[in-house]
Amino acid sequence: MSEAELLLWVRGPALQIATAIFLLGVVVRLAEILMLGRKKDLAEARGSAVAGGLRTIFSRFVPDRGTLQRSTFNVVAGYIFHIGFFVVLFLFTPHILLFQDVLNVSWPSLPTPMVDATTIVTIIALLAVLAHRLQNPVMRFLSGFQDYLVWLVTILPLVTGYLAFHRIGAVPPPTLIAIHILSVELLMVIFPFTKLMHAFTFFMARYYNGAISGYRGVNS
Amino acid sequence: MTRISNDAEFRKVLDGLEPVRQRQVAARFVENVLVLCSDERLASVLRIAASSESSQEELAEALKTARATTFACHTRCGSEGDWSEQAGYFVARAATAALTPIGQMPSGPAWQAALSSRMAQTSQSIVSGDDIAGQESNQQYQILSEFLDS
Amino acid sequence: MSASLDRGLNAFREQIDAPVAAFFSSCVHCGLCAEACLFYTETNDPTLTPIHKLEPLRRVWKQEYTFWGRYARAFGLTRPVTDEELTDWETLVYDSCTMCGRCSMVCPVGNDIAYMIRKMREGMAAAGHAPPDLVGATQRAVTIGSPMGVKLPALQAQIRHAEEELGFSIPVDVEGADYMLLLSSMEIMNFPEFISAIARIFKHANVSWTISSEAFEATNSGIQIGVSDIAAELVERIVAAAGKLKVKSVISPECGHAYMAIRWEGPNLIGRPYDFKVVHILELLEQLREEGRLRTTGKETQRLTYHDPCQISRRGGVVQQPRNLLNMVAEDFVEMPETGTMNWCCGAGGGVSSNERADDLRLKAFNRKKKQLDAIHPDAIVSACSNCRIHLEDGLEEYGMDMPVLSLTETIAEYLAGSEQAGSKE
Repeated sequence: MSEAELLLWVRGPALQIATAIFLLGVVVRLAEILMLGRKKDLAEARGSAVAGGLRTIFSRFVPDRGTLQRSTFNVVAGYIFHIGFFVVLFLFTPHILLFQDVLNVSWPSLPTPMVDATTIVTIIALLAVLAHRLQNPVMRFLSGFQDYLVWLVTILPLVTGYLAFHRIGAVPPPTLIAIHILSVELLMVIFPFTKLMHAFTFFMARYYNGAISGYRGVNS
Repeated sequence: MTRISNDAEFRKVLDGLEPVRQRQVAARFVENVLVLCSDERLASVLRIAASSESSQEELAEALKTARATTFACHTRCGSEGDWSEQAGYFVARAATAALTPIGQMPSGPAWQAALSSRMAQTSQSIVSGDDIAGQESNQQYQILSEFLDS
Repeated sequence: MSASLDRGLNAFREQIDAPVAAFFSSCVHCGLCAEACLFYTETNDPTLTPIHKLEPLRRVWKQEYTFWGRYARAFGLTRPVTDEELTDWETLVYDSCTMCGRCSMVCPVGNDIAYMIRKMREGMAAAGHAPPDLVGATQRAVTIGSPMGVKLPALQAQIRHAEEELGFSIPVDVEGADYMLLLSSMEIMNFPEFISAIARIFKHANVSWTISSEAFEATNSGIQIGVSDIAAELVERIVAAAGKLKVKSVISPECGHAYMAIRWEGPNLIGRPYDFKVVHILELLEQLREEGRLRTTGKETQRLTYHDPCQISRRGGVVQQPRNLLNMVAEDFVEMPETGTMNWCCGAGGGVSSNERADDLRLKAFNRKKKQLDAIHPDAIVSACSNCRIHLEDGLEEYGMDMPVLSLTETIAEYLAGSEQAGSKE
């Protein structure tokens, strides 16, 4: 397959398949959760479940003081790579153009040198969290194949994107881009089958948590 | 002979006693029900409480022992309760109260010791089925009177 | 054996709802829940990580309620949950968890792990994997009416004792009273002075109340062991008595899980709302205070701190009331370093203290509370749960700390204004 053919395939059929699997997978996973339903609470309410639920979606972004003190690295590194990832994904001009193509919406971008630097910071953060996952007794104990696979498919787009942008590597630039897009497609295909679903389900989890507590008059 | 015939007078007299005397009369209340407790450590604890010459270290040790006994005798949450053994728990609590410094027990160590001793009898009566209303209180009034006169 | 496992797995299936599925879907194995759990922090044992305690339940969810899980199962690619695993998980689910919910407060994706532990216990119990001590307590609760075997004559003796001390009678089976007081067996057996304290306060504040001779037990062993049918039956007894006496409210005493059972789980267990209200004794005392009906004189000069019973505070919502009440009678009230809904569990609730097998772990976990105390050096601890009290006393004694543990209600009673002190001349 020539480099042109590869790129065409990757941007065409492969992307369509990956997107289909991603969208269908996410929708099915969310439906599976919602279909289980939740029994109505018959106890007398002290506070509002809905208000509590909505509140917790946002308040849980801020760790409590004790957690911040005890797990500083986990919290800080976690925020760095999440924010970094979103900055690179959503505020990079070529990506925004892609979204504009597909979704017909566009938004302001960040200067490319900043995105570039963010990519490096994010990659370093991801390397650091891997080291932490391997070294921290609790995380090492909890982690299995899926955790490391997810880590890999998360860092690959960042690394391949950086390489493609800077044209680093023994292969021609179009192929670098093809590899980058492939890595994104890999992420999309793996997404619905793994803990990456937390990106969508964490709203629900936080909501339910806040609703259960809010009903009892507790801010969680 | 000083006559005490009700709890109001009883408590007033107790509260008026100085700490060492409170401890000593409390020890007597507990001795009156000591037979209800099978833990042998309390006998020596009470001896220390009753003596006016016990040092601070001895009192502190005795308090620790009393607390340990209280814990050893209690019925843990969810386990099958036995009221005769629970009587022993209240005796231990009475001993603990007797040795507790006044600052830590605003309601009065001697009064608490008296109450717990009565509770020990109540516990025993649950098992025996006897009607013991007022018995232990009256005995305590007697003990206090004799103590004041001695 | 297989029949039991099936019942257990069925119970797991029934318990899995949308929140459970959302929680398991969101867990990213960050491990922050471990650092919020006193059983982990005081042992550094990774198996005590809260989310890990749910692993069998998670596998059932994955294999039955996710499309790829069902797919994989169809192809024989999954590992079914075995009886051996449930045996291994018994100590994780019962000995090393009080359902305190602190993990639920810190999980970044919002998982309510304590909620899931409660549900998992249903399956564990159905599969025959609950601790023997809890099984015994529950059996006694059903047949005798009290997990500790406290029968009516014993309560009557304690009431008579209190009446003698108080000089006035305690209302029993009074129809039309406003409030019906429940008592936990722990209080009746170990802290019976609670009864006199309440009686004095209620007389002082002119509260219309009663105890029911048919349903006086507050403790609900069913929710500790995780058998909802039994939990429901225990609640029904209270509902029946409340209906018979036509009371407006039922008072939950100083016992954590009793409050959770009657206030929050009760109507859901019996499948219908109550036609009476439920208040925790602290809520009622606070209400009386606000209405000016609770007058005190004098104050504690000892340095006091407050231990929040988890089921009352974090999981129950009664957080500010004890503080208002304590400030009324304390000159020197100092909060623990992490307090209120983020206070640390004492380590004994949810059936842990009933379980002799868990003694060592429970005492190790107490170290967490000890560290809180070491930071503020109080003279005494005040709390509002008899189980917390006994366990705190045990822990303090174990670590050579000299500190009384006081009941908030009894402390309030000590400082009541007026002549309603013990030894009244009536």
